[in-house]
Amino acid sequence: MKDTRFAHLKDIPSAHLLGAGTAMCAGCGGLLAVREIHEVLGDRTVFVNAAGCMTLLSTYPFTPFSGSFLYTAMASAPAGAQGVRDALDVLARKGRLAPEDDLSVVVLTGDGSASGMGLSATSAAIDRGLDFLYVCYDNEGYGNTGQQASATTPLGARTATTERGSVASKKDLFGIWAANRPAYVATAIGSEPVDLARKVEKASKIRGPKLLLVLAPCPTGWGFESDQLVEIGRLAVKTGAWPLKEVEGGKIVHTKVPPKRAPVEEYLRAQGRFAHLFEPSRDEATLASIQQSVDAYWRTVTVG
Amino acid sequence: MSGAVYRVRLHGRGGQGIKTAGRVLGTALFLEGFEVQDAPRYGAERRGAPIFAFVRAARGPILERGAIQRPDLVLVADDTVVVVPAAGVLAGVTSRTVMVLCSEQPEDVWRARLAPKGPLHVLPLPLEDRGATSLRHVGMACAGAAARLLGVVSLASLRKAIETELAGVGRAAIDSSLAAAERSFVALSEHAGAAAPGEPIAASGYERPVFVELLCEPVLEATAMVHGARTSELVKTGLWRTVRPEVHAELCHKCHWICASSCPDGAISASESGVARVDYDHCKGCGVCVVACPHHAIAAVPERSTEVPK
Ligand SMILES: Cc1ncc(C[n+]2csc(CCOP(=O)(O)OP(=O)(O)O)c2C)c(N)n1
Ligand code: SF4
Ligand SMILES: [Mg+2]
Repeated sequence: MKDTRFAHLKDIPSAHLLGAGTAMCAGCGGLLAVREIHEVLGDRTVFVNAAGCMTLLSTYPFTPFSGSFLYTAMASAPAGAQGVRDALDVLARKGRLAPEDDLSVVVLTGDGSASGMGLSATSAAIDRGLDFLYVCYDNEGYGNTGQQASATTPLGARTATTERGSVASKKDLFGIWAANRPAYVATAIGSEPVDLARKVEKASKIRGPKLLLVLAPCPTGWGFESDQLVEIGRLAVKTGAWPLKEVEGGKIVHTKVPPKRAPVEEYLRAQGRFAHLFEPSRDEATLASIQQSVDAYWRTVTVG
Repeated sequence: MSGAVYRVRLHGRGGQGIKTAGRVLGTALFLEGFEVQDAPRYGAERRGAPIFAFVRAARGPILERGAIQRPDLVLVADDTVVVVPAAGVLAGVTSRTVMVLCSEQPEDVWRARLAPKGPLHVLPLPLEDRGATSLRHVGMACAGAAARLLGVVSLASLRKAIETELAGVGRAAIDSSLAAAERSFVALSEHAGAAAPGEPIAASGYERPVFVELLCEPVLEATAMVHGARTSELVKTGLWRTVRPEVHAELCHKCHWICASSCPDGAISASESGVARVDYDHCKGCGVCVVACPHHAIAAVPERSTEVPK
């Protein structure tokens, strides 16, 4: 990565653009990512939100944002973003908004919305070439309503609606987005702040639809102690369960390839939602199938 | 006592098993042949924030709805919520309300603090939670205490309710929950039946809601809008904390970007000297910084055991 301000953790701004005092759980991985993203984007930002945990960031009369925040219905955040973008463009055209006062429009949505009822509005916004950044924090379930399974819940994970573990595999939102050919697509995670900051920085320099899928380890929904947040994130990357990548010029580039992938069990074991795969007896079939799908993914990856 | 209703409220924090305790107590009463309502109640806040659960039980249909206003029995799993006004621990408590607190402070301290007009019992922290950074069994200890104080739940029903409600969390967790619940069930045996049911509330006794006439306003005035930035900082989420991160300046290598960048709440910054500084008004006590610090310069200290540093 050339052309980046972010060579080291130290380079990431710490202006605390996202205020404290929010209602998110102690140790929330989604909040960590939103904080990092706001820090890089700056305060001239409008966050357009689909109903989910992050809706509760702004509960009248409190907001943690330095920029603006607009709440929309669960399926409609990209449409809301279109409206905000259009309004800004109209103001600019009428000479009522100086170029330096322009705002960047950012959708902030959960995975349930992004992979379900919000998907068609997202696809349509990409079709229209909307100039926006779409951020999906992926806690792999409907967190706000008590972690029911979403289309992005991974195989084997226990949720409120999959008490014996999900039998479905995780929907490939990155692949779906990439197939829509937007200007930029990437995955990220809050526990890799430099990688995340570079991707947000890169997206902010590109016009058109940019989409960012951020894994958001969720202590409440995934069943781990809040202090393990960063460790869980590291395990997700180290085991290859969460590939860090972006699409550049139509080609998928992996931005951080685990040198020697640790067994995915290390990641699963650390989370209560997979406990039934180990106790009272090991569910070898499911464990093998999860490992195989990770291996199969990385076999398709050409590094370099 | 036909028509009488048991009204129980359980207080604690998200993540301490309060919701589960309510379900366990509800299921145990159901197994004893009662009609039961049990529901958790929490606001927008999450894990770590004060929550409560309530349980109603009667021998016939229960016509009341909503949160319990006049409890017969109040159980507090985490004594740090007592001082949080929004937690509403003392709401509707009268001389006939039995109170139970899980606490390391003795009973006379709580009597002096709360000056309760009714009976008050203090349960020790469950063995399973002593020295642990988070309280996981206090909810279950309260469920066991509630079952005994109501006097109408057998140990067998309590056990069965725990097995049912915790099915799926693994044998070890069920066993430790059974142990915690049973211990408080036994500890309060001489007070069995101390919490008596209250009379049903007649519809005529309900307070009418007050309606406020609102004029139709232009949308820009009627829409909830916040014009300031970062107003959330007025909310002191530091009250959620049960464990406090303490920076040991002599061990700190002044690489504050490491711990600060791992804090989801942005509650860490650098002091003038470069040593990491925690914003205790907002730190929720998640402990991420304690794990993130490569020099082990941040210690996790249980909130209840020390004074808040200046
Ligand atoms: C149309 C509609 N259906 C259902 C809901 C209820 N609801 C609010 S948040 C939420 C969960 C959203 O899940 P996700 O998008 O993954 O975000 P998370 O809660 O995990 O942050 C649901 C189902 C809603 N607000 N609107
Ligand atoms: S439920 Fe999960 S994603 Fe939602 S606020 Fe809590 S930790 Fe964050
Ligand atoms: Mg979600």
